[in-house]
Amino acid sequence: MNGMAQEKIIFTGPVGAGKTSAIAAISDVPPVRTDVACRGEERAIKDTTTVAMDYSYIQLDDGRRVHLYGTPGQARFDFMWELLTRNGLGLVLLINNDHPEPLRQLDFYLDAFADFIRQTGVVIGVTRMGIADRARLDDYQARLFERGQVYPVFEIDGRSGDDVRILVQALLAVLTI
Amino acid sequence: MDVIEEIFRDQQAAGETAVAVSEEGSRVLRARLEQILDGLREDCGDVTGAIVSGVDGMAWAQRLPAGFDQNRFAAMSSALLALSDNLVKEAGEGSPRKVLIEGEGGNVFLMHAGDQLLLTIFTRADSNLGMSLAHANHAVEQIARLMAKCDD
Ligand SMILES: Nc1nc2c(ncn2[C@@H]2O[C@H](COP(=O)(O)OP(=O)(O)OP(=O)(O)O)[C@@H](O)[C@H]2O)c(=O)[nH]1
Ligand SMILES: [Mg+2]
Repeated sequence: MNGMAQEKIIFTGPVGAGKTSAIAAISDVPPVRTDVACRGEERAIKDTTTVAMDYSYIQLDDGRRVHLYGTPGQARFDFMWELLTRNGLGLVLLINNDHPEPLRQLDFYLDAFADFIRQTGVVIGVTRMGIADRARLDDYQARLFERGQVYPVFEIDGRSGDDVRILVQALLAVLTI
Repeated sequence: MDVIEEIFRDQQAAGETAVAVSEEGSRVLRARLEQILDGLREDCGDVTGAIVSGVDGMAWAQRLPAGFDQNRFAAMSSALLALSDNLVKEAGEGSPRKVLIEGEGGNVFLMHAGDQLLLTIFTRADSNLGMSLAHANHAVEQIARLMAKCDD
């Protein structure tokens, strides 16, 4: 079975955090996307939202191929979270700082993926930091400290390939420790 | 927030004319969709349940067996259909018509109904597939026609 195992990492986080953008920004091929038009409250945040998954892959400098999966952000698609994390290497959690309560979002996703994180590892990328300074990196670290957890936290732009590659490298580094 | 109500508010905000712009209107639209689903079940005894949902995974109208969570079925339907659409397009097979799933205990059909909605139908395992599909197609046409009227 091991020969079939693919090395995959999963991008998750709330609506509009930048999961789809981040995967597109670093992938070697055009990603598989399942975005559809938003309605209602979600439309205020953005035009389209992921309903099944994003998928792509990248070749690392050492020649390893890593598969990238993005989850939908909406909680009604939580059945996809479980499907996509199965056999995953680790988690990239993106948090949109331009949200009324970004630290609660952090709590929510860390709790929702707690089992997977315990078995693997996580890095946190905070997006839209420049747009809204609701919480600073210190605040994220303080919240993690309160939770008794120590994870790398980065400020990133979800659309920047360089930023997202740093996150991925950090995750892979965490996983080898 | 009621989804159907919301859609009409959106249209109004965008300056589009909508047949129904009120709570009453959304209630009427849901009732019409439910009528279509009732008709489907009456015409085709093999249908055990059906749900109309938005492509974004929100439930609009349903006639599901007791114990089915409409929100979960709406979300799963849109995820499955969106992925199937990609698969068919990427294989160069054009636009996807429908997804058929044969389960041990019954079948599931997933179909687009206009560009905003999709219809999911559950049928008995021993049902006549061709017959069920014909009825399903008819329901899809009715829904698409209803929505086209709302969009005018
Ligand atoms: N300013 C800013 N905009 C960003 C950033 N990352 C993504 N965006 C924009 O935010 C919007 C939403 O990004 P997506 O990548 O679709 O978000 P998502 O996390 O996949 O959202 P869901 O699929 O709905 O859960 C897009 O218009 C992006 O261009 C960022 O770091 N800063
Ligand atoms: Mg997305």
